[in-house]
Amino acid sequence: MDTFGLLLEGLLVAAQPMNLAFALVGVLLGTAVGVMPGIGPALTVALLLPISLSFGATGSLIMFAGIYYGGMYGGAISSILLNTPGETASIMTAVEGNKMARDGRGGKALGAAAIGSFFGGTVGTLGLALVSPFMVKVALSFGPAEYFALMVLSFVTVSAAFGGSVARGLTALFVGLAIGLVGIDKLTGQARLSFGIPELRDNISIAIVAVGLFAIGETLFIASRKIGGDDKVEAIKGSVWLSWLDIRRIIPSYFRGAGLGFMFGPLPTGGAEIPTFLSYSAERKTARGVAREEFESDKGAIEGVAGPEAANNASAAGTLIPLLTLGLPTSATAAMMLAGFQQYGLQPGPLLFTNDPGLVWGLVASLFIANLMLVVLNLPFVGVWVRLLMIPRPWLYAGILTFATLGTIGAQGSVFALVLLLGFGLLGFVMRRFGYPLAPVLVGAILGPLAEEQLRRGLMINRGDWSFLVDSPIALTIYAIAAAALLGPSIWRMLASDKTKTVFAMDGD
Amino acid sequence: MSTETPHGGEAGASRSPYPHKTARDLGGLAIAVALFLFAALIAWDGATYPARRSYAQFGPEIFPYLVAAGLAIFGVATVLMALRNSFPEREPMNLPAVAWVIGAVLAETVLLYAGAGFILASGALFGFAARGMGRKPVWLTVLVGIGVSAVLYVLFKHGLSLSLPAGPLERVIDGAIRG
Repeated sequence: MDTFGLLLEGLLVAAQPMNLAFALVGVLLGTAVGVMPGIGPALTVALLLPISLSFGATGSLIMFAGIYYGGMYGGAISSILLNTPGETASIMTAVEGNKMARDGRGGKALGAAAIGSFFGGTVGTLGLALVSPFMVKVALSFGPAEYFALMVLSFVTVSAAFGGSVARGLTALFVGLAIGLVGIDKLTGQARLSFGIPELRDNISIAIVAVGLFAIGETLFIASRKIGGDDKVEAIKGSVWLSWLDIRRIIPSYFRGAGLGFMFGPLPTGGAEIPTFLSYSAERKTARGVAREEFESDKGAIEGVAGPEAANNASAAGTLIPLLTLGLPTSATAAMMLAGFQQYGLQPGPLLFTNDPGLVWGLVASLFIANLMLVVLNLPFVGVWVRLLMIPRPWLYAGILTFATLGTIGAQGSVFALVLLLGFGLLGFVMRRFGYPLAPVLVGAILGPLAEEQLRRGLMINRGDWSFLVDSPIALTIYAIAAAALLGPSIWRMLASDKTKTVFAMDGD
Repeated sequence: MSTETPHGGEAGASRSPYPHKTARDLGGLAIAVALFLFAALIAWDGATYPARRSYAQFGPEIFPYLVAAGLAIFGVATVLMALRNSFPEREPMNLPAVAWVIGAVLAETVLLYAGAGFILASGALFGFAARGMGRKPVWLTVLVGIGVSAVLYVLFKHGLSLSLPAGPLERVIDGAIRG
C-alpha cells in the first residue's frame, strides 16, 4: 500500500504545471526524433544535456523520460510508412507495418501501434512502480563486490547484445572504458591521459562523446553511402481507429508483447531489440486463420505491429528499473539519462529512493501522464508527424549538425570541444562502417569510472586482496549470468542457424 | 520466420550485393594497429604516475592497465577478424560527401578560433554539411546556414542565456537587442 501512497505523492509532483510542460516538451521532441530516421532518443537527450542545466533536476528528468517514451511511439510511424525504422526498437514493426501500409491499411497499423505503445507503456510503468521498492530493498545490502559484478554484467550484456559480433562489442566497450579514464582520478587527484591539455584534465563530457558518436558519426555514415536516395513515404490510407474485430485480434498480442518487453527491459540485454524480436516471432507462431494468411502474404498482419509496439514501450519502462534502483543503464538512452542524473550530482540507486522520493516518484508518475499525452498526440495528429518525414535530407542533417555543435560550444565554452566532437564523430563513423556497435562505448565511458571506484574501494577495504570479488554468493551469481549472456548469443545463433541473419542496427535504442 | 531484412539493419547487413572479397581486410588491420597503439599509450601513461603507498596497494594506474590489456587482447581479435574477413561488407564510400561533412566541422572550428563569431562559423558548418548531403550550390546553403544560425543565436543567447562565442556580427545583434 505504501507504494501507492508514494505514487500518489509523485502524481502531485508530476501534475505541477511546469512539470506537465516539461513532460509535454519531452514527448513532442521524443515523437519527432523517433519519426526521423537517424536521430534517436539517446542523441536527443545528449543534445539537451547542456541546455537543460537551467531546468532543474526533476523537470529535465521528466523531459528526458518523455523523450524516451515518445521515441518509441514515433519510431513506429517511420517504420510503417517509410519502412525505415527510426529506432532499432521499431525494426520489427516495419516488417508487417509497411506491408499493411502498402496494402492500404496504414491507418490501422498506426492505430494498433499507438494503442499498443500506450498499453505496453502503462503496464510497464505500473510494473516499474511495483518492482522498484523491492529492488531497492535488495540493493541496499549490496557492497562494492556486488556493484562491481553488476557493472561487469552490464558491460558484458550491452556489448554482447548489440550488433553481430561479441568481439566487436567488447572492443567498443574497452574503447569506452578508455574514454572514461581521461581526466583527474577522483581518489588520488592524478591526471590521466591528459598530456598536459587543460580541457582533458576535467574529464571528457559524456555529452560530447554521445553527440560526436551519434550525431557527427551518423551524419558521416549517411553521407558516405552512395545508394539510398529518397525512400518512398506511403500515404496514410484508412482510418487510424480500429474496428472491434481488430481489437479482439490484437488484445492477446498486446499482453504477450507487454509481458516480453517488461521481462527483458530490466535485464541488461541492451534495450528493446530482443523483446520486440521475440514478440514478433511469438505473434507469427501463434497466428491462425486470417492472421496466418496475412503474415504469409504481402498484406501484413496487425498482430505483427501490435505485439512489438507493446513490447518496446514496456521494455522502455523496464529499463528504468535497474537505472533507478541500481544506477545501471541497460540501453543507450538509459545511459544518457544516467548522465542526466550525474549532471545534477545525483546518483541513482537505493539511496535516491530514500533521499529524494519526490524526484523518483514524480518521475514515475510523470511516465503515466506522458503515456496519456502520447496516445492523444499520436492517434488524431499522426498526419502532422508524417510531415516530418518530408524534410529533405540535406537540410535535416545540416540542422542536426548545427544544433549538435551549438549545444557543445554553449555548454563547454571552449572551441576545443569541437575538436573532440570531430574526433568522436570520426570514431563513430569508422565504427559504423566496420560494424562496431556504438552503445557499449557510451556505457563504458559512463559506467567505467563508477566500476573503477567500486573496484578500488573494495581493494582498499580488503587491503589489496582481489579475492573479495568472488567471495560473495550474490556477486558469483551475477558473474554466472554475465557468462551466460556472453555465450547466449552464440548458442542462439547456432540454434536458429541461418534464420537470424537479421543483424540489428546498432545506434542504440 | 522469413526475414525480410528491414532497412534499419544497414549497419551490419550481412547479405550484400557486392562481390565477395578474398584478400585480407586492410581496413580491419589498420583498426587493430590503432587499438595496439592506444593500448600502448594508456599503459605508458599509467607507468608515469608517481608511486603511492596505500591500503589498496594499487593506485590510479591499476584500472588503466586493465583497460590497456583489454584493448590489446581485442586488438589481437581484430587481427584475426581482418585475416578471416569477418567484418561486414562495406559499401563503396562517397568520399566527396564525407570530405564536405568533415570540412564543415573543421570550418566551424577554424572560424571560431579566428574569432569570426558563432553565426558565421555555424553558417559555414550548416552550408558545407548540406552541400555534403547533396544540396547545391554551396553559396546558397551557406547563406541559409547563416540565416538559421542567426535565429538560433538570438534564441539561445537571449532566450536561454547560453554563452555562444561572439564576433563582429554578434556584437551588432547584441547591441540592437539591448539598445
